Amino acid sequence: MKYPNVKFEPLFSWVNRPRIMYAPGLRSELGFEMEQLGGKKAAIFTDKGLVAAGVAGMVADAVKNSGLELAGIFDSIIQDARIDIINQGAAFYRQSGADCMVAVGGGSVMDTAKAINIMIGGGNDDFQPLADQAGLWEGAKPLPPHIAFPTTAGTGCEVTSAMVVMDSKAHAKLQVTHPYCNADLAMLDPELTAKLPAKITAFTGMDALTHAIEGMTSTGAEPISDALGLHAIRLIFKYLPVAVKSPEDIDARGHMLIASTLAGMCFGNTMTGGVHATAHALGALYGIPHGLANSIMLPIVMDFNVPEAADRYMMIADAMGLDVTGKKPAEAAKMAVKAVVALKKKIGLTETLKDFKVPKDQEKLMPLVELAGADGQVSYNPRYLEEADILKLYLKAI
Amino acid sequence: MEFWKDSQEAVTAIKKMWEEIGNDAELRAAAGKVNQLIVFDYTESGPGCAVWVDCRNGGFTVGAGIPEGNPDLTMSLSADDAHRSWSDKLNPVMAITRKKIRVKGSATGLLKLVPKLKKVAVIYRQVLTDLGMADKIMK
Repeated sequence: MKYPNVKFEPLFSWVNRPRIMYAPGLRSELGFEMEQLGGKKAAIFTDKGLVAAGVAGMVADAVKNSGLELAGIFDSIIQDARIDIINQGAAFYRQSGADCMVAVGGGSVMDTAKAINIMIGGGNDDFQPLADQAGLWEGAKPLPPHIAFPTTAGTGCEVTSAMVVMDSKAHAKLQVTHPYCNADLAMLDPELTAKLPAKITAFTGMDALTHAIEGMTSTGAEPISDALGLHAIRLIFKYLPVAVKSPEDIDARGHMLIASTLAGMCFGNTMTGGVHATAHALGALYGIPHGLANSIMLPIVMDFNVPEAADRYMMIADAMGLDVTGKKPAEAAKMAVKAVVALKKKIGLTETLKDFKVPKDQEKLMPLVELAGADGQVSYNPRYLEEADILKLYLKAI
Repeated sequence: MEFWKDSQEAVTAIKKMWEEIGNDAELRAAAGKVNQLIVFDYTESGPGCAVWVDCRNGGFTVGAGIPEGNPDLTMSLSADDAHRSWSDKLNPVMAITRKKIRVKGSATGLLKLVPKLKKVAVIYRQVLTDLGMADKIMK
């Protein structure tokens, strides 16, 4: 494929703070790396599922086998980074005498850990006022040492300077940004992802794909993120079906972890778009896991965006491994949409919004539409989204 | 300043824009949901260079300068960046991450209006034209 004449934001800034390390079994380096960051007594933040699966224990053992002291394991984190649990986590960190943190988990765990670290760094007892402020950049200072082990591939949370937290009272997901909230070091150890069930592997992989596709078609898209997003797409199309079919395939798991981090670096700088806006609302009001909500909405929103982003979708189609030689951009873009649908089928993601009891009644859909329409990611969608458009997207997904 | 001859010119245009937003049913309703006293503080571009909007309790009043009482939200930026932002040429979320906009208070409500910026920009361009400032319209 010849590189098309894609436009990009004429003024852009690109940043990626955390160092990234990759190796199967990398957790054995945790003690050394944390000591380099100045940490001596580590609190592990994780969830009960990962404790039960023995994954959190694998990291805890790495702490015990090093010069680090284990302050304790906080495993109360549940789906969506809830503000009440963030507050509990900060209290746990203080009570345990920790001076550094290790996050072991998927997006909810890593976002919860980010928020806790902001509170520890700032001496706060309640995250709600910080979440309400949305942007925590003014006067921001580096935070206590923080290493993240993503156990899904995934959210890319280990590298992004944003977090999505759940305001349970308002039934809304709030996006909060802080320049130092991401991990000081993202440690990609694919052995920690080998026990992830096929279904979760599938939809977290689709989350990463959504990050890559939306990141390089957003209104903030630029060449550096394009490079990252395109390679993430290549890896995901090649390795996600393998990781779903053969969970113990460390090579496939490793490539998916790398793809997820690449996609995180991509969208963390360019933002996302309509898929994320509609998915955030679905998560807040219907409790649909984020990756699954993204996977449902992705081909529908892509199809809607074709008139405004055909050249970029052609690049995406090429990265997917499709032959776009001689194709018009819009034609190639439609091929990309179909390829996403085919990939979903291949990895067993057949859900529609109907499966989550999202009503077809337009009146009943309005809270969802309004929430998505007010989501911060809407304004980054390549095609302008009116509330009427969002309603149509949801109706197509039911 | 790049766009304004003085701070008063910026205040005149942006205050007028907010008055027009108050005349638009959809935007006024959206602002009503924010339910805050908001200060857009452009004083780094000159003394008194600020506009406030009070959309608390179903009301909608607009003024120049710093209002009495404690604002729920203060957005501090330059008058030039305000012009870029209201022209839909500077994404507020991105601007916060570059510290071009400094936030004090609860911003989640106002940021929910970011998707409406395209509509606001149309109003803003009309206001600039009506005030004889069409030369400032960003292409």
